[in-house]
Amino acid sequence: MRSRNVIDMHLVNRMQAFGWPLIAVAFALAIMLAVGAIVGSRGPEAQAEMYYGLQWNGAIFALLGPLIGYGFTSMGQYFPLALGLGLTRREFATGLSVVFLGNAVIYSVLITVGKTIEKATEGFGLSIRFFDVFYTSTGAPWQTLLQTFLLILTVLFLGAAITAAVLRFGQVFLWVAAAILALIGLGILSGVLLLDGFGRALLDVLTMGWGPWMVAIAVIGAVSAGAWLVLVRRTQVS
Amino acid sequence: MTAIETRNLTKHFRDVAAIDDVSLSFAEGRVHGLLGRNGAGKTTLMKLLTGQIFATSGEMRVLGQSPLENPQVLAQTCFIQESQKYPDGFRPLDVLRIAEGLYPAWDQELARELIADFRLPEKRAIKKLSRGQLSAVGIILGLASRAPLTFFDEPYLGLDAVARRLFFDHLLADFADHPRTVILSTHHIDEVSNLLEHVVLLDEGRVAISEEAETLQNAAIEVSGRRDEVMAFTAGADVLHLQEIGSLATSTLHAEPGSVERARAAGLQVAPVSLQNYIVHRTTAAAAAPVA
Repeated sequence: MRSRNVIDMHLVNRMQAFGWPLIAVAFALAIMLAVGAIVGSRGPEAQAEMYYGLQWNGAIFALLGPLIGYGFTSMGQYFPLALGLGLTRREFATGLSVVFLGNAVIYSVLITVGKTIEKATEGFGLSIRFFDVFYTSTGAPWQTLLQTFLLILTVLFLGAAITAAVLRFGQVFLWVAAAILALIGLGILSGVLLLDGFGRALLDVLTMGWGPWMVAIAVIGAVSAGAWLVLVRRTQVS
Repeated sequence: MTAIETRNLTKHFRDVAAIDDVSLSFAEGRVHGLLGRNGAGKTTLMKLLTGQIFATSGEMRVLGQSPLENPQVLAQTCFIQESQKYPDGFRPLDVLRIAEGLYPAWDQELARELIADFRLPEKRAIKKLSRGQLSAVGIILGLASRAPLTFFDEPYLGLDAVARRLFFDHLLADFADHPRTVILSTHHIDEVSNLLEHVVLLDEGRVAISEEAETLQNAAIEVSGRRDEVMAFTAGADVLHLQEIGSLATSTLHAEPGSVERARAAGLQVAPVSLQNYIVHRTTAAAAAPVA
């Protein structure tokens, strides 16, 4: 099982694998606790308003952000070393998939445990929402577990796929991708401004239920993983 | 037995032929020199043979099989490249620990000995190592891997003379105890000329020479003396290089049977040509030759 060495490689820099994400979470949580303490001092009405508003609080991206970078780093830094040490692309892909799955499990469990504690203690006694937010699901704990698992896995594979595409096609990929995204953005904007009912239909899509959203995230993740697996088999180390 | 065999191997990067129709074979259990100027295609050839890049056309067999995505071959192949990048936060200790798990014949005792000999700070982040210390990481990995096929691509960039000597001594000693196939690419040809048994010279992606090192070391002579005498002696000979200073001249020419004796009889001084100078002259002569 030479793929195991890919996992070992990713565990060498424990600060990158676990340290920085956990420090970022702790730092963001500390800020939220401070905000909770300040707002709480202004009375129960302000506290209730804060509790409602914080369901869209994006502080949890302090954790999700570094994980996006983790996908880039895996392909950009670990892939050339793996090939340099005589691992095959298939072995690297197998090992890295396990690393990604492990990350998704560990951090989704962490977030779910955090959310459970947060709810049990009514926002750590300060009525704040850090783990129990829209992006991690405000539903039942199992929904948070599934949503964060899918979200983390998707961003990891997406990061790896983007880096693999850059390694395979160079800067051209970035320009083409940026142009396509700009065109999509322009198309949506044009549709909203010029087409009757387009805005309403778009809103319906964006406010679709939790289940369809999970399917959408899973599809993006699967497409990213598929694209990465295809690209990595033809990626060369310059 | 043949360790490596290529047939019409070609690698294009857009419109540049980095490797152009190369057919070669490297015998097993020998030290081969892979020589050539910058951009000659040495690193590209080694990357092809270790499956890091894909050939545009042609065939290659490494240890009897295709190296591409072949763990059986790659587990027996170690490629030390001067441009190897390491992830952030990696220390020599980490690289060597991972390598230990990848190479079945890894010798940890030898690795420890080499770390001490090269005075490598194994717990310092690789990013903070000097160029020479970074080269030492590759050398230690390449030697301790005891891989049946080891590629060294400019392994000692930045190393001082003492460390380079250490590398040669260890390579020679370990090769004697554990014979294997070594492909050594370097620009310090004279320093390794005694190690090499077979030499391949690449020039603009093509094979210019594939010959026994001993044959090449006796392939040319250098004659020097009065200009008119040197010119008279070399008239009609296969001259590789001519240098004139005032009324004196020095000419490097391909040695023919009896040419040393004839040169001395003509009153000229005769000297051997080092492998490095021979390679330089051959490469320069090829570049200066008119295009047909």
